Order: sequence, then structure tokens, then C-alpha cells
Amino acid sequence: MSQLVVDAHSVGKVFGKGEGRVEALRDISMQIEAGEFVSLIGPSGCGKSTLLRLVGDLTTPTSGEIEINGKPPRRARLDRDYGIVFQKATLLDWRTVRKNVELPLEIMDVDDRAKIADEMLSLVQLGDFGDHYPWQLSGGMQQRVAIARALTFNPSLLLMDEPFGALDEMTRELMQQEVLRIWHETDTTVVFVTHSIPEAVFLSTRVVVMSPRPGRISDVVETNLPQPRDEDTREAQAYYDKITEVREALRRQEARA
Amino acid sequence: MTVGDQEHKASEIDDVYQTEFVSAFEGDVPAGTRTPSALRHRLRTAGPAIAAFILVLALWEGLTRLFDVKTFVLARPSLILERFILTSDVVWSAGFNTLFEAGIGLVAGTILGVGVAFVTIRWAPVREGLMPFAVAANSVPIIALAPIANGMFSLTSPVSKIAVVTVVVFFPVMINSARGLIEVDEDELELMRSYAAKPREIMWRVRVPHALPYFFSAMKVVAVLSIIAAIIAEYFGGSQDVLGQYILTKASLFVYADAWAGILVASILGVTLYAIVLVAERLIMPWHVSFRASDAT
Repeated sequence: MSQLVVDAHSVGKVFGKGEGRVEALRDISMQIEAGEFVSLIGPSGCGKSTLLRLVGDLTTPTSGEIEINGKPPRRARLDRDYGIVFQKATLLDWRTVRKNVELPLEIMDVDDRAKIADEMLSLVQLGDFGDHYPWQLSGGMQQRVAIARALTFNPSLLLMDEPFGALDEMTRELMQQEVLRIWHETDTTVVFVTHSIPEAVFLSTRVVVMSPRPGRISDVVETNLPQPRDEDTREAQAYYDKITEVREALRRQEARA
Repeated sequence: MTVGDQEHKASEIDDVYQTEFVSAFEGDVPAGTRTPSALRHRLRTAGPAIAAFILVLALWEGLTRLFDVKTFVLARPSLILERFILTSDVVWSAGFNTLFEAGIGLVAGTILGVGVAFVTIRWAPVREGLMPFAVAANSVPIIALAPIANGMFSLTSPVSKIAVVTVVVFFPVMINSARGLIEVDEDELELMRSYAAKPREIMWRVRVPHALPYFFSAMKVVAVLSIIAAIIAEYFGGSQDVLGQYILTKASLFVYADAWAGILVASILGVTLYAIVLVAERLIMPWHVSFRASDAT
């Protein structure tokens, strides 16, 4: 059995107290193995982003336990196990693209920063843009810089919170292709939050379907589509079947509600 | 540099000053969406302003001559220029003394303002306790304290004027800097958290660069305000060899053209301080949106 990167046991998260108390997540148990690409999907308010943030130690669970690479999330964060990509690229305006990619390396006091940054920029096919400033790049390019930045320090776990949500459909499909290629080349484990069913199916080895109020896991769909996936995958019958399967899983919870 | 140039700049700065003043005091964020402005573009757009300025001067000169307007109502530009040149020794001596007070107060107020801004970031209770008062104090016309400052410190020493300038400069700098340090995108902070960055690193790599535009926005206001504050403080008494007293004395002796020459010097000083801030801003944050060239890809 391969190594567990994420191991969550009966995790719950409650925001606020008394009247304003909101139960965001209830009884979440989830195991993710090294090298997996797992998407979290569900309607707004199902707590998928909260779950991602719990995994990344950006917030702490109210109940239950999470282990990352066999450690508490906080330890994993201090060990720099996480690369994070948000919906917004969140690049620092005052730094060039290369300097943005170097930022985590500066903080981690790594040598050869410029060399690593250039390698990462080539990986996301922005090798010629190191000296540009973020505002000179398109939204898709900025998001690729954010991905390069998240990968510079070889995190074992890449957390992506609707990273392509603000991009147009064409750019979005290119970026999906890109992220799969990077995933193959780097052997990172990816947890990916999205509310697009095709996106989740196309990218993932496993799709975790969540339902709201309180957020919990209602289904898990193994995609079993052959790797590597490309434009042909998008036209394969198996791909449509899986999309239907995820869609029905989401419908079932509506019926239950 | 001719007087025309200087005065023209003074009037141009006035416009900028008005808008900057409003934005800094009403808590607006710094200019973020200004259209690209290359040097060539600026020269081209300066044309109408120069023409308007010459027109106003010509009208001023022509109408005051035509209707034989008395100097105590409105002095002619040519007379002001003449007195400015003839009295340049005295009026510049007064000007440099005023500049000294304004300059020391400007530096002291800026250092204090930035210092306190850092403290309010580091210790949240200080921020919560202090900021409401600072914002309230900022909407008080602090300049009204000038006569009291003269009582607090020796009337004749420049210290009372420096103190007034310092207080006037302190609040906008402190409030704007603190706001720039605080209002950092939550995602940026979370990214830094995911890198396990220390607070010091977050401060220097994220908060401080983020606060620079806010800081400079305040500096543009207080650079001009420091001269104004110094002159008003001088009106309430003290050394005679300063602009406030010079203008006051000349006006009370009905030598209005000389008083106007004093005002001209005050304008030149204000514009110079403002220009220094502009240059510093460009050198320190060349990446800022307001300096972007138009050839974005």
C-alpha cells in the first residue's frame, strides 16, 4: 500500500457560537495516497474550501484528527509540505515574475533561487517572462506563475482552491492540460477544489462529492480514465459516463435534502 | 528658472494638492487606476495648462491695469515680480527660516508617524485603542493649536513652529501608513503562512511594500501642508525673519506687492518639497501602477 499523504478521521468544523453557530463540516473521513489527484466538488456551502484549508493548516478542526504525511498539519506546514494556489493568482505587484517565484525560496533560505525559479517558469512554459511584472501578464499566465511559485520548494502536497475559477473556458481547458502535465512531471499529490463537474472528472483520479449543511462527504467516484489524459479524453464515452456519475451523485443529495 | 515657470508649477501643484488632500483625508486608497502616463504624453498634456496659465497671468496684468485696480486689492504680476527680485535677499532669508521649521517638522512628524504605525501593527490593542482617536484628531483643524503651541514653547524659538508642523504631519502619515500595513490581501498573508514565514518576513516582504503607496499618498499632502502649517504658526508671533511674519508685516504696512513676493516664495518652497516627494516615490516604488508605461502586453 502506498504512503498516506492525507489521513482525516471524523473531522468536524464549527464556526461561531450560540445563535450564529454554523456547522461547516461534519464527520469527514478521507484518505489520500501519494501521487493521487483528488478533487473536492459540491454546491456552495458544502465546506469544500474549508476542508482544503483544514488540510493546509490555514484553519484548525473543531473535532476529529488530520494527519499529513503522518504529522499534525501544523508540523507539516512548518516542514513546508504544502504548495497552495488560490483562485486569485495573488502575485506581489512589486516583484517581477521571477522574484515572485523566488519568494518562498527566499523565506526558506534556499540557494540558487534564480536557477530554480527559471526551471519552474520553464515548467509552466513562461521561461521568457521572468523579468516581466505581474500586471503585464494575462490572467491565465498569472495563474501559471502562481503554480510555479507553489512548486518551487517541492511540496509533497499541492492544494488548489478553484484555481481556474476566474479564467475563461478556453484558457481553463489549457490550464487543466497544463496542470496534469505538471502533475505527471513532478509526482506531487494534488487536492483540487472545484465546482465544475467536467473539470473534476478530467483532472482527478478520484472525485470526492460533498453535500452542504453541514458539509459532509456524500460519494466518492473513482474516475479510472486512462493516463495521460488529453483532448481525446474529453471526447471519450468513459469521460461522459463519469461526468454523469458525478452529476447523479450531486442530484441524489438534492433529492435527500 | 523664471518666475513664470515657478508660478505655473505652483498652480499645477495646487490642483494635484486638492485631489490628493481629499483622497488622503477621506480614507481613499491611493491612485490605482490611473491611465499610463509616459513623459511624452505628459509634455503633450502640459500644453493646455501652460497656455491657460499664461492667459490667466495676461488677464490679471491687463485687467488690473485697465481698471486701475489698487495694489491693496490685487497687485499686478509685473509688480510682484519686480518686488520679488528687488527684495530677494530679505524674502529668501525669511523663506529659508520657514523652510527650516517646516523641514524639521516634516521629518520629525514622518518618523513619528511611521514609527507609531509600526507599533499599531505589531500590537493590536494599541491599534484598537489609538486609531479612533487618531482618526478623530485628524479631522480636527490641528493648525488651530498654533497659538497654544506658542505658549507651550518659547514664543521666539522655532521650536513652537516645528512642534505645530510635527503634529500636523504626524496624523496623516500615521493613519495612512497604518492602513497600508493593515489592509493586506488575506490570501497574501495565508500564502506567507503556508511558507511558514516569520512575522518579520511578512512585515518586510508583504506589509511594508504594500504600505508604500499609502505612505507616499500622505507624504504628498503633508509636504505642502508643512509649509502652510509653519507659516500659520508664524502668524501668531515669534521671530520676525520668517515668511509668516514677513507677509503679515508687509500687509499691515500696505506694501502688498512685497507680501505677494513672500507668498510667491512660500509657493516655491511648497512645490519644491512636493517635487522631492514625487522623485522619491518614483525611485522607491517604480513598479507602482501610476508609473506604468502604456505598452503593456
